[in-house]
Amino acid sequence: MQLTWTPEESRFRDEVRAFVAANLPADIRDKVMRHQRLHRDDYIRWHRVLDEHGWGAPTWPREFGGTGWNPIQRLVFEVECFAAGAPRLLPFGLSMIGPVLMKYGSKKQQQELLPRMIRVDDWWCQGYSEPGSGSDLASLKTRAEKASGPGGGHYVVNGQKTWTTLAQYADHMFCLARTDPSVKPQAGISMLLIDMRQPGVTVRPIRTLDGGRDVNEVWLENVKVPVEDIVGEEGKGWTYAKYLLGHERIGIAGLGHCHRELRILKDLAARTRGSNGRPLLDDARMRDRISRIEVDIMALEMLLYRVAAARGDAPPGPEASVLKIRGSEIQQDLAMLQMEVAGPDAWPYDPDWMEADALFQGPGGEMTAPAGAGYADMRKTSIYGGTTEVQKGIIARMILGL
Amino acid sequence: MDFEYSEEQRMLADSLRRLVADNWSMAKRRARQGGLDPAAWNALAELGVLGLTIDAAHGGFGEAPDSLLPVHLELGRGLVDEPVIASGVMSATAIGASGNAAGEAILSLAYQEPGRRYAVEPEDCRLQGLVLDGSKHLVWHGAAAHAWIVSARDAASGEMALLAVPADAPGASVAGTNTLDRSRCARIDFKQVRLAPEHVLARGEAARAALALALEWGTAALCAHAAGAMARLLDITVDYLKTRKQFGQPLAAFQALQHRMAEMVVAKEMALSMAYVAVAALGENDARARRRMIAAAKLETARAGRFVSQCAVQLHGGMGMTDELEVGDFFKRLTVVELLFGDGTEQLAVLEETA
Repeated sequence: MQLTWTPEESRFRDEVRAFVAANLPADIRDKVMRHQRLHRDDYIRWHRVLDEHGWGAPTWPREFGGTGWNPIQRLVFEVECFAAGAPRLLPFGLSMIGPVLMKYGSKKQQQELLPRMIRVDDWWCQGYSEPGSGSDLASLKTRAEKASGPGGGHYVVNGQKTWTTLAQYADHMFCLARTDPSVKPQAGISMLLIDMRQPGVTVRPIRTLDGGRDVNEVWLENVKVPVEDIVGEEGKGWTYAKYLLGHERIGIAGLGHCHRELRILKDLAARTRGSNGRPLLDDARMRDRISRIEVDIMALEMLLYRVAAARGDAPPGPEASVLKIRGSEIQQDLAMLQMEVAGPDAWPYDPDWMEADALFQGPGGEMTAPAGAGYADMRKTSIYGGTTEVQKGIIARMILGL
Repeated sequence: MDFEYSEEQRMLADSLRRLVADNWSMAKRRARQGGLDPAAWNALAELGVLGLTIDAAHGGFGEAPDSLLPVHLELGRGLVDEPVIASGVMSATAIGASGNAAGEAILSLAYQEPGRRYAVEPEDCRLQGLVLDGSKHLVWHGAAAHAWIVSARDAASGEMALLAVPADAPGASVAGTNTLDRSRCARIDFKQVRLAPEHVLARGEAARAALALALEWGTAALCAHAAGAMARLLDITVDYLKTRKQFGQPLAAFQALQHRMAEMVVAKEMALSMAYVAVAALGENDARARRRMIAAAKLETARAGRFVSQCAVQLHGGMGMTDELEVGDFFKRLTVVELLFGDGTEQLAVLEETA
């Protein structure tokens, strides 16, 4: 057992910290730390800064252009980047479809698509949920029918996807569609790679509780997908989807996010005066609550390191559900505490204030205006990527064997 | 004890429920976006909601404080945002307690100052003779008000003064903003605003007591409003889970979700009970006991509101995160209940002080 950092791990952490401090663009950092809205180019700029240093794919093996870091190094990297105010790495390529293509994709797909994910030359989005198929994903109705034609023919895809995050920027979608309606639901699903820049693809933003427009509905009407753009085998889409979701759940624990938000929370509590004129951080009631959440994050971190060390490079198992449940709750608690620190100043709100060039930031300055909206927005963490209820079902079945 | 509505209260509640259902549907409410619709406002006035508890000598209906409960429960069910609490309850109480008459105008209580959180003792707003300078913020519907009830510190005596400042007074400027819960609030800046002697409602202890009473009445009304909102949100959630199907059956058939809804019922009942406590407090003559009861009601109501609204969003799944259903409006209003008139930390401090 070695329960403290090795000298190499400490050196690695220092190296990452120094690199991020020197290379993260200040305007992007400020937006992140102030909870302002990030745009397409903010994400891409940061990806490319990392890529130029050879760190563009921190979770990938070297053979696919990744860093080849071990799971502990990856976590250290995530925490350091987040804590310093870096934007999250777009998960769609790096954490979602990328690993699936490495395991199940064709050589051609791997060679053509993976390098472009690292620099975000292609922006990917996820086509999973449908209006009638959320938690019960296997009931999805989007239909892909094979038609003959040159080059082995193509699929014609019809259906509607929803909750598609940042689809407004997407060049490609990895999409679950039903290729065989005659077998049991899970067996008739395939995973297709869809070119979003073609007729028949319509993206409509869904306005969310915080007034944001980062999730979308996507309609697919007679969309053509060449047969070579299927992932793996026809009818195996459900297996690939589950593999992907396990990967997503590790990231969803949000350890880096938690560290960053804790830092923001403490900073805000130190700068905000209570009704008695003293900093809220000096208020025993508030300090106790901050201490509690620090303990929560400590436990989450150790749990994450345990899981990461135990699994190595194997796909995550049901323990990912444990991480997802607790990680999403802690992220929600952090947002709630930030709102409570902002207090009455979190009441006035206009979605326009979330833009970096907004004129009026609300009564308490730039940090308090988004606090109520941030609290509302973070309710999504216990819903997306499989709701807490779904995760509990997985734990009951796969950990408890019930 | 008797929890039955009187005949008049029952009739008023029934009429209000119909009025609210007709005029505060999601579409109509959102179309107004915190702005005031004169027709809707007049409809509330015609039912007697605005002057409900105002003394008959001052042109009100002189109802006992317990009438706040049926009225604000119904208004909460429809998320009625018109300034009934800000004007008809809080401002009217402040004026009435100062021995002055409340008029027909829309009023709002301006007591919070920038950077001073929930502090009620004015510092920034100063009265020099009859000239007012300083700023107030978070004034509920402040931009729609005809006059503001403003707390200020008298520069000579250091005492609090409670002022009625007409919104068109030269030197007063108001900037309204939207709020998280689709309401409106305003920041008001006073620069050399010259007042007449009749604009001074009260001074010293009388001013302090009138402001405290106004906040207590407002908090009680808000607790009832929140309890009504919780009850309606629970109805909305149960209906959604009966219709939404996953895994071949309605979501409402899953025991895990039934239990969550059952927990919402428990929280809602606790909140409703505390709304009764809050209204009972208004009839309590011992100021210390009254303050303690109000703080307890606010603490429990905000906590229950947060729990019920979080559960409602969770049970709606992704749809709960959108702005397309009513659940989001209820979620945000119930979130804001915590932020208004003193948050949980403030209430715990009151409970500690009055223990």
